[in-house]
Amino acid sequence: MQLLEQQKKSPFNRNHALRDAIGKAIHDQMGLDHSIHLFGEGAQVKVHYDAPDIERDFADRVHTLPIAEDGNTNFAVGASLLGVKPVVDIITADFLYRAMDSICNTAAKQNFLREDKSTIVIRSEFLTAGPTTGQRPEALFTHIPGLRVVVPSTPRDAYGLMLTALRTPGVTLFFEDRMIEDEEFSSNNGEVWSNSIPWSEALPFGTCSWALRGQRSNVTVLTYGVMRQVVQRALGPYKFNHDYYADEYPMLCDVIDLRCLYPIDWEFIKKMLERTGKLLIIEPDVTYGGVGAEIAATIAQEMPHVRVKRLGAPRATIPASKSLHGQMLPTEGQVIDSIRNW
Amino acid sequence: MTLLETGKRLTVLQERMFRIRLLEDRLQKLCDEGLGADLHFSKGQEAICIGVCAALRETDYLVTHHRSIAHASAKGVPLEELLQEVLDGKAGEMHMSFPSQRFMFCWQLVGTCIPVAAGLAWAVKNHLKTDDIVVVFHGDAATANGQWHEGMNLAAVQKVPLLLVCENNHLAGNVRPEHYQPVKRVIDRASAYGIDAEVVDGNDVEGVLQAANYAVSYVRTRGVPYFLECNTTRLGRHKQGQGDLRTREEMEQLAELDPLRGLEQPHGLVEEIEAVIQRVQAGGS
Repeated sequence: MQLLEQQKKSPFNRNHALRDAIGKAIHDQMGLDHSIHLFGEGAQVKVHYDAPDIERDFADRVHTLPIAEDGNTNFAVGASLLGVKPVVDIITADFLYRAMDSICNTAAKQNFLREDKSTIVIRSEFLTAGPTTGQRPEALFTHIPGLRVVVPSTPRDAYGLMLTALRTPGVTLFFEDRMIEDEEFSSNNGEVWSNSIPWSEALPFGTCSWALRGQRSNVTVLTYGVMRQVVQRALGPYKFNHDYYADEYPMLCDVIDLRCLYPIDWEFIKKMLERTGKLLIIEPDVTYGGVGAEIAATIAQEMPHVRVKRLGAPRATIPASKSLHGQMLPTEGQVIDSIRNW
Repeated sequence: MTLLETGKRLTVLQERMFRIRLLEDRLQKLCDEGLGADLHFSKGQEAICIGVCAALRETDYLVTHHRSIAHASAKGVPLEELLQEVLDGKAGEMHMSFPSQRFMFCWQLVGTCIPVAAGLAWAVKNHLKTDDIVVVFHGDAATANGQWHEGMNLAAVQKVPLLLVCENNHLAGNVRPEHYQPVKRVIDRASAYGIDAEVVDGNDVEGVLQAANYAVSYVRTRGVPYFLECNTTRLGRHKQGQGDLRTREEMEQLAELDPLRGLEQPHGLVEEIEAVIQRVQAGGS
């Protein structure tokens, strides 16, 4: 019991709101669409603990497969050729490397090759447990034609994007970021732009969320995954202090949560950059060859007057130690420094 | 198509085999002229797909590997459609599909077809809920690949209506079995997954048909996988644009095992194929 309490307090504790939102989206859509089936290692056990609604209502559509990520994904592709809409659970994002062939060669190519388009969702989670259990391979998949890449950072986004993934023909890599902590999502939480879309609706791909509106904003911060939360926490004291003086706290900025890494909402990003002319990309991943590099290159090419900076993880192997792992990703202090030191 | 009288009366199955042989011979010429892609032919192996497909219903599904032209022909894909895809399609011979004939999937990467076919068969049984079956062809070389093993395991534990047909030509491209197969027979590997299996002479089309009739009915009635190992001989190169390491002497010995050896080809077939090729080439240019 004491251990449980400790785990709850740990920053590495499992988030529930995000997980529940994904489970709820799958459950709700399974009720509408009988071709959705869940496949994965220990899938039945997982829904028992994580999504009891699915176990209660659709147990016959949850299928436990062996520990064979590549074969399981190919198996799901085969089923999709006859109209099944598989949700393949690869469990941990690192395990995606074991399914690279079936994802990048088999799944990603099917909709190019045939008229009846497959709908496939491949789920996995970013963990924090060391070299092969703490990686973030999402950027790799943005490189592959035929794949969509989604990293939601709020339960509402997770719910809406999962609905879209299940309703739109195509292959979606759907990532769950376990570093995101549960927060008070019932309030509008600083979200401005996308708040008009209620919880029950699907969120279109290729739209980002205006997570925080800066006043007298002079920097546009572009982020995703757990870094959205880190950035918001870093800016929190400034945001909620209504007696601030712009001269004293010039770091007030717009924060955009990408949430879809492919396709990307270029139109909105460019509109925001017209305002500030400064782009700070804060990513929860290795910056070298990452999503931020693609955005920086595109903006440099198409908006040469915009200055670009990146903040992210070093190109280093993830250590198992939690204290060492904590040093991999940008901290709140680094976020503030980067905004301040232009 | 009526049976054509030649010196020796051909059976329906032999005539179907000739359709593949003559089509591939013509495509071979195109390749030699530099007009075709690096195609993979089934010369010498035709009896397997013809025998197996003769045991299938039209509504049964077919999944296969990269040596797919023969299989598409055997499954009844119209020649013109097939040639359009092979000569000028965006999928090409190694990724094409013809859902109308239930030729669902073929794939260049060795082994992938096994788990994909297992998933397809799973969907036939659990989603469409029909009693159709899926047949998947693969070579003996695929049995050294992880996807073959993961696919066999999935087919067995998920109990899917899948007939696995191994075209055992004792080659992996240009590599001999001692480099990839430590067991004598491929079915020794199948038995590790608790899948019932049988070995047949893959160059005897009637024998293949007989075994396939049993296998298809086994899979259809029990709804579980069955494995057929068909020993055969690849009389051509692995693919166009690649040499063959076998000696002339060995090839001459193998030619004696040719299932079409000594048979006279049916009249009119060459002209029929030629006419379609001309139409496809005219349409494509």
